[in-house]
Amino acid sequence: MKLFSHILQIIIFSGLLVACRKSELEKPAPQPYRLPVPVNFPAPQYETYNPLTKEGIELGRQLFYDVRLSGNNKISCASCHHQNLAFSDGISLTNIGVSGTTLSRHSPTLINMAWANNGLFWDGGSTNLESQAFGPLTEHNEMGQNLFELMDELKAVPGYITAFKEAFDEDISSANVVKALAQFQRTMVSANSRYDKYVRKENGASLNKQELKGMVLVKQKCQGCHSTDLFTDNLYHNNGIDNDFSNPGIDDLNFGRYRVSYNMKDMGAYKTPTLRNIMLTAPYMHDGRFKTIEEVLNHYTENIKYSESLSPVLIQNGKIGITINNEEKQQIIAFLHTLTDEDFISRKSLGKP
Amino acid sequence: MKKILIAVLAAATLFTACKKDTEIIDGPGQATIKFDSKVGTSEFELNKEYIIGRNTYSFNKLRYWVSNVILVNANGSEYAVPNSYYLIEETIAVPVQDGAYTYPATKRDDVTISNIPVGEYKALKFSIGVESKYNDNLSLQVGELSQLNGMTNVSWMWHTSYIFSAIGGTINAGLPSKTIKAETGLNTNYKSVTLNLPATVKVGSQTSAKIDLTLDVVKVLDGIDLIATPTIGASQATVMSKLAENYTKSFAVVSGQ
Repeated sequence: MKLFSHILQIIIFSGLLVACRKSELEKPAPQPYRLPVPVNFPAPQYETYNPLTKEGIELGRQLFYDVRLSGNNKISCASCHHQNLAFSDGISLTNIGVSGTTLSRHSPTLINMAWANNGLFWDGGSTNLESQAFGPLTEHNEMGQNLFELMDELKAVPGYITAFKEAFDEDISSANVVKALAQFQRTMVSANSRYDKYVRKENGASLNKQELKGMVLVKQKCQGCHSTDLFTDNLYHNNGIDNDFSNPGIDDLNFGRYRVSYNMKDMGAYKTPTLRNIMLTAPYMHDGRFKTIEEVLNHYTENIKYSESLSPVLIQNGKIGITINNEEKQQIIAFLHTLTDEDFISRKSLGKP
Repeated sequence: MKKILIAVLAAATLFTACKKDTEIIDGPGQATIKFDSKVGTSEFELNKEYIIGRNTYSFNKLRYWVSNVILVNANGSEYAVPNSYYLIEETIAVPVQDGAYTYPATKRDDVTISNIPVGEYKALKFSIGVESKYNDNLSLQVGELSQLNGMTNVSWMWHTSYIFSAIGGTINAGLPSKTIKAETGLNTNYKSVTLNLPATVKVGSQTSAKIDLTLDVVKVLDGIDLIATPTIGASQATVMSKLAENYTKSFAVVSGQ
């Protein structure tokens, strides 16, 4: 009899538990996620009315790797943004979009996106990650996704219906697709390179003589643009790779930032990419014209082409270009290797689910 | 027992009284604003020839965002209509996303606003376009804002923002005719309009207001040389800003009641 009453108690109690769990399921509250800010980074500054939540980030990760987001259901965001290449693709100008057409711009890396608050795309034509996603998603040479079809495709997946509810307490919509993608991309924080461990004095981390000399040189010679520990000023510069802007190209693409700002100072200017993981992200420049880091350095020392909009930081003591000798170039390259973040390129939370 | 009966009766009387009171008090009401497009004194129609100045025009599209509508009370207080983004348009079918799908031919020239606090209203304010908060962030879709209606397009997509207004058609100064595409956009061209009503209009649960406006395309195109610049877009910054400014001077109130 006593045993029976015990069992009864257990049944009643577990019944209560089930009830509790059920009511939680009925009222899903996304769990806020606080982005870890590395001590050597500034605080990220952005307001897009899209607070990070665990559910939103996880949904964004699912979508980032989902080929349903393309018109032919063959490519995903990750097709041009490979984690092992710091979310670049290793190709100058890709042609894997749904039309097979070679694109006009090199796939940019996705590194420390929460700090990229001064425009996206090489010319900054998009203000934030939320708006930006509509570009590649719908552009007919890239993912070429009809947004009506996308809604049908996602709604056919029961897991997505639940995941959107959990993340936004709303149904599947294109606005929530881009919000989730933006949340996931803001978790792409790269701050665990050998350099980071050295500056944060973690576990006695050290750099060798060559690397330290390179670090000093980068601070002196490169941080005019590749500034702070983000190694970018998030600004736009004409770095002298071209000086003839007479041919506007499709949609004025050859004008660089000028096509967005209509300010002559921005003619031929493109966004400063970060130096982080740079040894993984060849080829370089907005059109991927330089295959190696040596070509990039040689450009800055020997090959800058003058035009009126050339960035003033590239004119020093009345001379065009940056003075770096061959030995110094080797030291700089040695240092750049220390900016490779193995954790970033292998972190499971950023990988394919 | 008697006490209880009295109490019940008293309570019932109170309830009845309350109900009666709410019936007397006027509640929020609605207003319909009509945006009638004109070409001078003629009605605006698609694919019809109009002579403006020395040129012959034919239009296949007139679309613009009306946003942040504010009703100004006779006492000076303002009622800002929440999430007020309306696409006013008369257009042939619009291919969207390079023709991935088609936005159907549409004529929409009125907006009905509900839940307006009871009162006498003397003026109307609204803006043409999309304010920067929403223009810069396509994931914030209030009112009728959407990527699906062709008021964003590929070359604009790379600015990932909205087209505030669009006029399409042809212009003819002798042969051959030129295709015109006159669009406005960009945050600096977000402009507002204030229109005083000829007399105050009453809004309440018993009385709906009706405000009739006109937009004169001749005034919209005033000083714009579409022979010289048949395409007006972001790269024609000066002309585009003039065009955006023109919209604010092209509305008139016909009646308000």
